[in-house]
Amino acid sequence: MSAGSVAYQMEQRPEPVRRAPLVSSGLLGMLIFIFAEVMFFAGLISAHTIVRAQTAGALWPPYGQPRLPVEQTAVNTAALLVSGIVLLLSWFAFRREPSSARIPLALSILLGGFFVYAQGTEWVALLGEGLTMQSSTYGGFFYLIVGTHALHAVGALAALGWAWARLNKGLLTETQLATVAAFWYFVVLVWPVLYIQVYL
Amino acid sequence: MVLLALAAVALVPDAAHACAVCFDGPGETRQAFFATTAFLTLLPLGMLAGAGAWLRSRARRLESEDVEKKQHPES
Repeated sequence: MSAGSVAYQMEQRPEPVRRAPLVSSGLLGMLIFIFAEVMFFAGLISAHTIVRAQTAGALWPPYGQPRLPVEQTAVNTAALLVSGIVLLLSWFAFRREPSSARIPLALSILLGGFFVYAQGTEWVALLGEGLTMQSSTYGGFFYLIVGTHALHAVGALAALGWAWARLNKGLLTETQLATVAAFWYFVVLVWPVLYIQVYL
Repeated sequence: MVLLALAAVALVPDAAHACAVCFDGPGETRQAFFATTAFLTLLPLGMLAGAGAWLRSRARRLESEDVEKKQHPES
């Protein structure tokens, strides 16, 4: 085969089809991170389940330890769930017209901020009542599980705040919003499981 | 010393309850161990299966969109 015919064949070859990736790199990275975090929380829940089962028949919470504010936290939980719903609305709004997502996204951040603030005030009250990391395994698990979730919530709120700032500058892309929203949905959806496990 | 240790093991044959699953720990503890073992085993498999199903459906959707674009390039 001559060099000329090879060149001719290469010219005739159709351009390779460049398909859009199934998932953007940012979202894929976030999903892998969420996968790891789900397993982390699953480990904490499992450890809590076993320790709680070992004290079956005995009091849980242990004698002398304060009861957790179930009703107050139910209100915080509702705020967090509503925040997730409002974020979903902001997603639909963004797909219609990006600037229309400003208010729902801000509202979602405010509701999430309320959740973190309310949980913080609850912690202050519980510390005042004598529930600490060292007071019992009950206290240790409470601060470990709820504190770890709070750290995730703060991180996700920072990411949502970043997204909101970019939205105001007109720089936010759909992929960026999807990535940040996936993190917030993880924070929102894992909380009811933790609430049932730790508070009830 | 080794003989003494062997004699002690032979004379005191009670099972050490080091593992709550293997021996007769409290029933609820054993149940909790079994339940959490199943939970931690099935959860990652479930997530992988869910992610795989989602990617597959997404790939099919994109493929059908590609076919439609080829059939109706003006739209």
